[in-house]
Amino acid sequence: MRPVQCAACGNQVLCEKFSPAHTSVQWTADAAVACAEFRDLVAQGATSARTRTCRALRSSIERAVADGTLEVGGVRADV
Amino acid sequence: MTALNDEVRVIDAGRPPARFARGWHCLGLADPFKDGEPHEIEAFGTKLVVFQGQDDGELHVLNAYCPHMGGNLAHGTVKGDAVACPFHDWRWSGDGRCAGIPYARRVPPRARTRAWTALERNRQLFVWHDPEGNPPPVGVTLPEIEGIHGPDAGEWSDWTWKTARVDGSNCREIVDNVVDMAHFFYVHYAFPTYFKNVFEGHVATQYMESAPRGDMDLGNLSSPLRSDASYHGPSYMIDYVFTEVAPGVEMEMVLINSHYPVGADSFVLQYGAIVKKLPGMTDEAAAEAARSLIGGLETGFEQDIEIWRNKTRIDNPLLTEEDGPVYQLRRWYEQFYVDAADVEDAMTRRFEFEIDTRRANQAWRAEVDGNLARRAAETEVGAP
Repeated sequence: MRPVQCAACGNQVLCEKFSPAHTSVQWTADAAVACAEFRDLVAQGATSARTRTCRALRSSIERAVADGTLEVGGVRADV
Repeated sequence: MTALNDEVRVIDAGRPPARFARGWHCLGLADPFKDGEPHEIEAFGTKLVVFQGQDDGELHVLNAYCPHMGGNLAHGTVKGDAVACPFHDWRWSGDGRCAGIPYARRVPPRARTRAWTALERNRQLFVWHDPEGNPPPVGVTLPEIEGIHGPDAGEWSDWTWKTARVDGSNCREIVDNVVDMAHFFYVHYAFPTYFKNVFEGHVATQYMESAPRGDMDLGNLSSPLRSDASYHGPSYMIDYVFTEVAPGVEMEMVLINSHYPVGADSFVLQYGAIVKKLPGMTDEAAAEAARSLIGGLETGFEQDIEIWRNKTRIDNPLLTEEDGPVYQLRRWYEQFYVDAADVEDAMTRRFEFEIDTRRANQAWRAEVDGNLARRAAETEVGAP
C-alpha cells in the first residue's frame, strides 16, 4: 500500500489499486477526527462508519493515480 | 515430493474461538416472547430463559438453570414479575434476585442468578454478551430503524421472520458473507454490479448494487436493488434495500440478518424483512411484499447453509483481486473475541475496499445469457 495525502485536509492514508476501478484504503488515524469531511458529517449527527467515502480523499487518490505517485495494477498480497 | 508439496496450497482450518463474541445479539422478534410463558433459548454454550413480567411488562433474560438444584426455569411458570422453577417453585426476578421460596423460612443471602442485559428495539429482543462481564460501553448501541417506533410505525409492514439452526459451523461463516461478492451471484442469485466494504469501529458495511439475474426468479428481489447493509457489532446486520417499482417510485425495505452462537460450532441464523408502504398500499399488500422478499432471501440462505454444512473452516482463504477483503474483515471481527483492553487500532481503524466488478460481470452476463439461450432452445424442442 502507498501513502496518499488528502489535498483538502492533509490526512494521510494508505492506498492500493489492483485496477482503475478497484481501490483499497487503509486509514491510519481515527477517520471521524482526522478527516475534515467526516468531522463535518459527525458534527451533523452522522457517523463516519456509515459513510461510503470521503469525496475529497477520493479526488486526491484519483490525482495520485493521474500523476503516477499511485500505481495501478498491483497484485494482491493478502492471500 | 518436496517440490510438489511446495506447490500445493494447504488449508489451515484453524480452530473456532474458545469464547463467544462480545456484543448485542438478537434473540428474535419481541412479541412471541410476550405470551405469558417462559421461553428457552440455547445460546452462548448454555441455556437462557426469556419471560415477560406480568406487572412490569418487561422482557427479562436469566440463566435458565436454577442455582438451587439445577431445574430448568424455561419449563416453569411466570408468577408476577418472576419466573418460578418447575422443580421446587423458587421464584427469580428479572434482575436475577430470588424473589421468594414459598416453602422456606428465608431466602439464602447468596440467592442470585445471572440476569442478562436485555434490550427491546426494532420490535426485536437483544441480549448483551461479554465474556468479561462488563455492561455495554457507551456508544455501542443498536440503531433504531427510522420510523419503526412512534407515530409513523404504521408506515412499515409487520416483520416476516425466519429462524434456522446451523450445526457443524462456527458463526464466522455467516459474517464472511459481508465481503463475499462472488457468492452473491452463485448462492443468492443476485448479480452484484457495484460492491464496496467499509469497516470502522464496531461497524462493518457492505454497499452493493445488483441487477436481477434473468435466469432466476426471486420474487421482488428480482429487480435492480441498492443495498446498504451494516453489521452493528458481531452479529446484527441492518440492510436497507431500495428498488424502483415504477419510474421514480422507490420501494424501501429493511432486511435483518442476525445470529447468535449456540456453541463453538453451531449457531442460530435469523432473518426478517419489513417493507415501507408506498402511498395507497394496503397493509395486506405490504405484508405480501415482505413475504415475497423473504421468499427470495430464504432461497439464498438455505443455499448458504448447505454450503456451510459441507465446507471446511478455512483460516487462510486463497483470494483473487475480485474477492472481497476477507482477511481485513476477520481482523475487524477479532475485536469482539479479545478482551476490551486488547482491542487494537488495526481492528477498528477505517478500512475501505471497492471491488472492480467488470471482469466478474462479463463472465456472469455470459453465463446468464447461456442459461437463457439453453432454456429457450429446450422450450422450442419441447413445444408441440
